[in-house]
Amino acid sequence: MIQSLVKTKVLGVDIGLEKTTYAIVDVRGNILAKDSFLTQDYPNFNTFLSVFCEHAINMIMSNGEYEEIRSMGVSAPSANLLTGNIEYSGNLPWQGEIPLSAVLRDRLGLAVAVANDAHVRALGESTYGCAHGMKDFIHLTLGHGIGSCIFSNGHAHLGSNGFGGEIGHCCIYPGGRQCTCGSRGCLEAYCGANGIVQTAKEMMAESDQPSLMREQAELTPKLIAELCDQGDEMAIEVFRRTGFILGIALANYASVINPEAIILSGGIAKAGEWLLKPLNDSFEEHVFHNIENKVKFMYSTLNDEERNVLGASALAWSVKEYSLFK
Amino acid sequence: MEENIKNRVVGVDISVTRTSYAIVDVRGNILAEDHFATNEYPNVNDFITTLSERIVEITEANGGYDKIRSIGMSAPSANFLTGCIENAPNLPWKGVIPLAAILRDRLGIAVALSNDGHITALGEHTYGSAHGMKNFIIITLGHGIGSCIFSNDEVHFGANGAAGEIGHTCIEHNGRECGCGRKGCLEAYCAEKGIVWTAKEMMAASDKPSLMRSLSRLSPRTITECCDKGDEMAQEVYRVTGERLGIVTAAYATLLDPEAIIFTGGIANAGHWLFDAVEKTFNEHIFHNIKGHVKLQRSTIDDRERDVLGASALAWGIKEYSLFK
Repeated sequence: MIQSLVKTKVLGVDIGLEKTTYAIVDVRGNILAKDSFLTQDYPNFNTFLSVFCEHAINMIMSNGEYEEIRSMGVSAPSANLLTGNIEYSGNLPWQGEIPLSAVLRDRLGLAVAVANDAHVRALGESTYGCAHGMKDFIHLTLGHGIGSCIFSNGHAHLGSNGFGGEIGHCCIYPGGRQCTCGSRGCLEAYCGANGIVQTAKEMMAESDQPSLMREQAELTPKLIAELCDQGDEMAIEVFRRTGFILGIALANYASVINPEAIILSGGIAKAGEWLLKPLNDSFEEHVFHNIENKVKFMYSTLNDEERNVLGASALAWSVKEYSLFK
Repeated sequence: MEENIKNRVVGVDISVTRTSYAIVDVRGNILAEDHFATNEYPNVNDFITTLSERIVEITEANGGYDKIRSIGMSAPSANFLTGCIENAPNLPWKGVIPLAAILRDRLGIAVALSNDGHITALGEHTYGSAHGMKNFIIITLGHGIGSCIFSNDEVHFGANGAAGEIGHTCIEHNGRECGCGRKGCLEAYCAEKGIVWTAKEMMAASDKPSLMRSLSRLSPRTITECCDKGDEMAQEVYRVTGERLGIVTAAYATLLDPEAIIFTGGIANAGHWLFDAVEKTFNEHIFHNIKGHVKLQRSTIDDRERDVLGASALAWGIKEYSLFK
């Protein structure tokens, strides 16, 4: 049978807590068109779905034929590749189990793969970024939450239920800080965005030492990093403590996974050396001795928005084609 | 046309106290086996000479050396990718020892070497309760604590072949000294020496009477016997050990989302004294989306048998080599 139309484009979609970005990407990784709208404007999932589909169809029709699109890949927090659902997200406005993959396929008539944001980022990094060529690595996202994806022997390790990589919810201090997931002592409660702010508040309460942090109306990790740049000692200590804790957690992660590299991305990673130096020192102090100085720390080489839709596009290629229109 | 089909391998399990070796056929039948004491050989060269002689002896007495396809070996701190034992904290032989290469030279056939965690996982996957599982973790509890990760039906070796070293994850910064040179390793709390250390700590910390105080030899086994006799302090030793192990096991499961985590090794013989606490703490700390989905179990086959069978499975996995062809 001679195939007349070869499909060279896919749709890559990144549903973030704030913003939903969608793009048409070709097989070479060229982004042919890209746009976005605010996820936050749509607390009702059905409304979000309708708006999204409208946007997507418009973009496809303005950039060629609908039949040229092979499939769609979608990244979302708490999404599960194996089930195609978003599952009990702690941070999205839509609750419970949402059959995202199935409803999108019905509305748009395309094969849809849905995966969680950590997995899609790692896929983007592996296909187009600094992890290209690596068989075993960990991609870490440091932001509101802390997520990760493990690549083992060239494939994402999803685990038996599709939930692999949840380092943010490993217990590092038994009986410690309360985490939003319900447990106590999770890494996220110390090194996620809110955890860092809590550390800053604890330090300000612990002593009388002056600090520019005391003058801020609202503290954020970004602000604390700026104060580090201005030489504020207490702010620097906040990131030193955070880096120390994260270093032990990552050392333990590396001791069991033995990755070639740990790639850092996400807002908190932008704190740069203030975080990375104490993190690296703590890591090398605690990691399994035979791999001391062997694991490479690197920052993602792709811009956030680009990497996420590129990763989603890579995901789209991996799902079997389906078309209502054939 | 091939005339001489080699349908047997030799599986060798080197542990801190004992080295076992067996001839195993393609169906997993153990045709002959024997063992000797590892700790009688503080010099690794003497050990290798003895092991080589023993292998030739047993194979010649059981059908001939030329029927053996290859040899698979298990040793603590061994690395499958390099074929070396690497800086073993628990063996008398130090540094990096190219054991697979040396034995291949002595014996003239292909030799594969890997660590005990890996071999245990192979044995369990091929012949035990992990048969059919694609994602699982084996944790071995003995002189040391090792593990092996199966991901997508394959062993996860890691970039340097050093994956699975859960025994050397840090559970307490500046904590107990470990044989690896670091402080606060899980092994220093939950492996054989760690359990004895905890028992001594508890006896020193209070005046409370305990059967452990009158033991001539304090070991995980004798402590278990005290538990069976109702000794509260002994039971507490295993309870705190189980708690520590439970938290680490929960973190491991949260990272890898395995179908099951299977415990093996001598310490596992402490049974419910240890595992009740492991399970309770595990359930308290496991990531909520997979709570109830990860099975905790003990190996269903006898340790020694599984380890030579696992080593034999490793032997089948490497390419044939023969000096004699």
